[in-house]
Amino acid sequence: MNTLDNWLQQATRGLADDSATQVHTEIREHYESSELLAINRGDTAEEAHRSALTALGDAHDANCQYRKVLLTSAEAKMLREGNWEAHAVCSRIWFKRLLLLAPFTVLSAAVMAFMNGSTSTAWTLLGGAITAGFLFATPFLPVYTPSRSRVFRYAKWIILPGMLALIFGPDTLKWSWLLISSLWPMIWIEMTRIAIRRKLPVAKWPRHLYL
Amino acid sequence: MNFKGTLPTLILEALAREPDHGYRIAQRIKERSQGVLDFKEGTLYPALHKLENEGRVESYEGMENGRPRRYYRITESGRKTLHTDRAEWRALAQAMSTILGEA
Repeated sequence: MNTLDNWLQQATRGLADDSATQVHTEIREHYESSELLAINRGDTAEEAHRSALTALGDAHDANCQYRKVLLTSAEAKMLREGNWEAHAVCSRIWFKRLLLLAPFTVLSAAVMAFMNGSTSTAWTLLGGAITAGFLFATPFLPVYTPSRSRVFRYAKWIILPGMLALIFGPDTLKWSWLLISSLWPMIWIEMTRIAIRRKLPVAKWPRHLYL
Repeated sequence: MNFKGTLPTLILEALAREPDHGYRIAQRIKERSQGVLDFKEGTLYPALHKLENEGRVESYEGMENGRPRRYYRITESGRKTLHTDRAEWRALAQAMSTILGEA
């Protein structure tokens, strides 16, 4: 393996296959032009190779820069697999119907609990009904522009913790460690989606990237 | 000399006249600054991709000496950014000259 291959291997570490191919192509083109110019200037092949490689700089720095603008393997995987929660639900019709019924069932239970005077249970059920309703209504909402997407995401991150606070009531702070750790997968997915949104032009956004 | 954060402005300036490919953009920046502004060429492409993601430049496939190459051209949004950057740099350079002139 020559030193350019070493450089490319370091510079493309952690990048998705498509991104790595793109980097290989552009850096090889650049390197060849640089090497050719040096040879035309009178350098030997060895000197030309060395100067072209030195001009590229540190591969690790380039890798850090590339990871900020091109898709990494993890981001490409998420983009490929899409919204796995929705796929799991939508692939089974009986499960989908059952889940769509859930918010109404829980809401009915909340109303009954209010009528029976079990206020704390009723608040918990109401919180659950609103959260479930919001989550299940998501695929049907007209969120297909970046500005609507932003509004939706703000609403999501206000409603979800708000509803958990409603469910846990005064104990919310006491149970915050549990809430944060259970919300962590969602937070991680959201952070990855933020990175993907920055790297992909809006025209290439799949539906789940708006949500 | 490498001024952090100036590479995108230098790229936009290099592309303001005509579209070009990465290698020539790098050469043009070095030539026009008479070698004063130097940067590692491996970081040129991440900066180009960032400008492309932001819609300030766009790329297309072109040919040079019978070989396919990726060319970049500045967009209208890129020209606006360049206009703003130029004004900011002039103000900064003037302020620095005033301060250093007084010293």
